[in-house]
Amino acid sequence: MAGENEKKAAWYLRVCVHAILATGALFFLLPLLWMMATSLKPLEETMKYPENAAEVFFGAGHRVVIGGQKYEVVLEREIKPTPAQPFFIVRPKEPFAAGELWLAFGADTWRKFQIFNQQELTQMNAEITPEMNVLADETNRFDPAAGLLTLRSGRKVPATVVRELKPDPQGDLLRLVREWRPEDTDTKDVGATDHEATRAWDVVPERDIEKTIRMIPENYPVALTRVGFVRSLINTLFVCVMCVAGSVVSSVLVAYGFAFLEFRARNLLFGLTVATMMIPFAITMIPVYLLYRELGWIGTFKPLWVTSWFGSAFFIFLLRQFFLGLPKDLLDAARIDGCTELEILWHVVVPLARPAIAMVALFTFLGTWKDFMGPLIYLNHPSQFTLSLSLQAFASEHGGTPWHLLMAASTVFSLPLVILFFATMKTFIKGIAMTGIKG
Amino acid sequence: MANLRRHLSGYSFIAPWLVALVLFIGFPFLAGLYFSFCDYPPLKTPVFIGLDNYAELVGDVKFHHSMGVTLLYASAAIPLGVLLAITLAMLLNARVRGQSLYRVIFYIPHLVPTVVVALLWMWIFNPEYGLLNIVLARLFQAADGWTGIFVSLAAAAERQNFFEWPAALLVIAPVLAAISIGPWVPAGLRARPSLHRFMAFAAIVLVVAGSLALVNAALTYADPFDMRKLHAPGWLTDADTVPSFLPYGPSMALWALILMSLWSVGQMAIIYLAKLQDVPGELYEAADIDGANWAQKTWHITIPMISPVILFNVVMAIIGTFQVFAEPYIMTAGGPEDKTRFVAMFVYDNAFLYQRVGYASAVAWVLFIMIVVLTLLAFRLSQKRVYYAGR
Repeated sequence: MAGENEKKAAWYLRVCVHAILATGALFFLLPLLWMMATSLKPLEETMKYPENAAEVFFGAGHRVVIGGQKYEVVLEREIKPTPAQPFFIVRPKEPFAAGELWLAFGADTWRKFQIFNQQELTQMNAEITPEMNVLADETNRFDPAAGLLTLRSGRKVPATVVRELKPDPQGDLLRLVREWRPEDTDTKDVGATDHEATRAWDVVPERDIEKTIRMIPENYPVALTRVGFVRSLINTLFVCVMCVAGSVVSSVLVAYGFAFLEFRARNLLFGLTVATMMIPFAITMIPVYLLYRELGWIGTFKPLWVTSWFGSAFFIFLLRQFFLGLPKDLLDAARIDGCTELEILWHVVVPLARPAIAMVALFTFLGTWKDFMGPLIYLNHPSQFTLSLSLQAFASEHGGTPWHLLMAASTVFSLPLVILFFATMKTFIKGIAMTGIKG
Repeated sequence: MANLRRHLSGYSFIAPWLVALVLFIGFPFLAGLYFSFCDYPPLKTPVFIGLDNYAELVGDVKFHHSMGVTLLYASAAIPLGVLLAITLAMLLNARVRGQSLYRVIFYIPHLVPTVVVALLWMWIFNPEYGLLNIVLARLFQAADGWTGIFVSLAAAAERQNFFEWPAALLVIAPVLAAISIGPWVPAGLRARPSLHRFMAFAAIVLVVAGSLALVNAALTYADPFDMRKLHAPGWLTDADTVPSFLPYGPSMALWALILMSLWSVGQMAIIYLAKLQDVPGELYEAADIDGANWAQKTWHITIPMISPVILFNVVMAIIGTFQVFAEPYIMTAGGPEDKTRFVAMFVYDNAFLYQRVGYASAVAWVLFIMIVVLTLLAFRLSQKRVYYAGR
C-alpha cells in the first residue's frame, strides 16, 4: 500500500472525499436508476413532464370508483359543460360507425383502441352498438327533448339518457376517465379485435380522483416478446460461448508458444502481434467483409466467432506476460520428467494461470455480449439477430417512442453482465489491474 | 534435428495465430491498401485507377467535415476523460470507508452494452421528458437564484425573493475566511490546529461556491444566448456550435456524445487506480520529510509514476475515437446536419450503403496513417515526461 495511505487523513478531508464520491456515484448511477424507473412506468407517464421530484422516478397513477367498483384509470380530457348546455352520457338505440362521432367512445371501443383518436377510429370503422355508452358533448350534440344524438354526418340517432352532466356544484373540473389495464402498456395492440372484455369509463370531478404510484412489471414480458428475446438470447449465447471457448483455447496455446518455446523469428512475430493491436477495425473491415462474402459466410454466425479460434492479439499479449511471471523451475522440472509441451501446458501452466485464463474468458464474453457493429455488418435476417441488434431494430422500428418498453428490454439485456460482474468480482478486478499494469 | 523439432513445436503452438495474422489481419490490411487505388464496383473486379480515390478525398467536403467532427470529439473527449479518470482514481485511492462499493459503482457503466448505453442516453437527452433536462432545469433554477442577485435585482424582485441562502453564503464566506485564516485567530484555537484548518477549509469551499455563482452571473450577463440555451438544450437535435463565439467548435449534439462518453470513464479510473496502488510508499515518505504538500506530491510523484499508463490510455483513446460508430449510428444517424457523422461512420456509409469499396478503403487508409502519426506524436511529445520505473 502506498505510504500516503498509511496515516489517516484529517476527518474533514475524509468527509469531503466521501461527499464528492457519493455525489459522483449518485450521478453515475442516476442513468441506470432512471432506466429501471422508466421500465416500470406506464406509457403515458413517460410522455409527461414530471410535476415533482418523486414523479421523475415513479409514474403517477389514478384510481376512481366507477359503479361501486374501484378502477385504475387513465385521465383523458377535461369536460366543460355549462348550465345552459349540459352534456349527457347516452346509450344509442341503433348501431353506427364510431367514425361518425366527433370524439367517439363506448365501453368496447376503449378496449379495442387504446390509442384513441378520431383518425384511428375512422380508419378502423369501429361499430358503436346499442349496449355501449357514448358521451354527448359540445361536438356530439344530443337533444334531450327529442332523444336524438346528432352525428358528424348530420344523421340523427335515437338514444336514451344514462346521466346528465352539469358543471360541478363545488366548481371542480370534470374529467373523463377510462379504465386502465396493464395490457395498455403494449403499444402494438392498437386495432386488435380479439379482446372481448369491455372497459369502464366515466366522467368524474377531480376531487374523486385518488392519486397513486403506478408500477407496471407487465412492461417486461411485453418488451421481451416484442424484442424477440428468447430467440436473440439463444443467438447471443451461441456466439458468446463459441467466442469464449475459441478465444481461451487459441490464446492460451499461442501465448504459451510465445512465452516458453524457442523458434526462429519469435520476437519479431511477437512484436508484430503487439503492433496489430494498433490497427482499428475500420481499416480491415471492408476486405474482411469481402473475404467472408467469398466464403459465403454473410448472413451466418461464422464471421462473429470463427476468428476468435485463431487468437486475439490483446489476450495473447496479456497471457504471455502472465506466463512469463510463472516460476520457470516448475516447467523445467516437468520437462526433465519427460512431459511433452502440451502436457506441461495442461498440467503445470493452466492450473497456475487460472485467474488470467478466467479473465480472458470473462472479457471475451463481455466484449461479445456488448458487440454491435459485428452483428450489424454480418447478420441480415431478424431470426439471427443478437440481442444488440434486436434491441436496436425494435428501437428504430418505432422511432424510439415506446421508452418504457425499450428501457425494460435494456434492463434485461444489461442485467446478465452486472450479475456476472458481481459473481466474479475478484477475477474481474485482478483482470482490470492486469490490463493497466502492462502500460 | 532436435533444433528443427523444437522450432516446429513452437510454430505448431502459434499456428492458429499465424493463420489469423495472415488471413484476418495481414491480407485485409494489404488488400485494403490495394483497393484504395482501385475503382471497385459491387460484384465486379477491382480496376486499378491510381491515386484517383485519394485525389477525390482531398476535395471531398463531407470527408473533411467528418474528419473535423472526429478530431473535435477527440480533442474534447480524450483530455476530459483522462482528467476525470485520474481525479476519480485519486479519490478512489483515498482511505475512506465504503471505498470498494464506490469502485464498483463507478465501474458499472462499463458493463452496460453499447446499444443500451446509446438508447438510454437517447432517452436521457430527450428534449422534453429526458432526465438531463429535468435535472438541469432544477439546477439552473437554483443557479439563477444566485445569478439574479448580481445580474439584475429587478429579476429577484419579480420573484419576491431577495434572500437566497446560497447567495447569502457569498457574503458570509469571505468573512469566515478572514476570521479563520487571519493572524487574529485566538491562541486557544491555534492550539487545536485540526479545528483551525477545518475552518480554513470550509471557508475555501464557500469561496469556491461563491466564485462559481459569480462566474455564472458574469456568463449570463456577457453571453445570454448561450446561457439561455444551456437551460433546456435539444441535445441530440441541436446543430449549433457551443459556445457560440467559437468560429469552429463542437455542436451541442457532439457535446452530448462527449458527455455520454464520460459516463464510462470508471473503467479507465480503475486502471489508473491499479497503477496508483503500485506507487511505492517510500516516495511519499521521503516527500513528507522534505515537507512537500499535497499538490507537490501529486505533481512530482503521483503523476510521473502513473505517466506510462496515461500515455497508454491516451493512445488507446486515440485509436478508439477513430472507431466511434455505434453511438452516433443509433442515436443521431450522423445528424443533425452531419454534425455527428464520425469518420468511422463515413467509411461504413461508403462501403455498405453507397457500395464504394475503393473510396471507403482510401478513407480507411488515411485514417490509419492519421492514427499512426498521432500515436507517434503522443510518444514523441511525452518522451521526456513519461517515467518508466526500473528502465
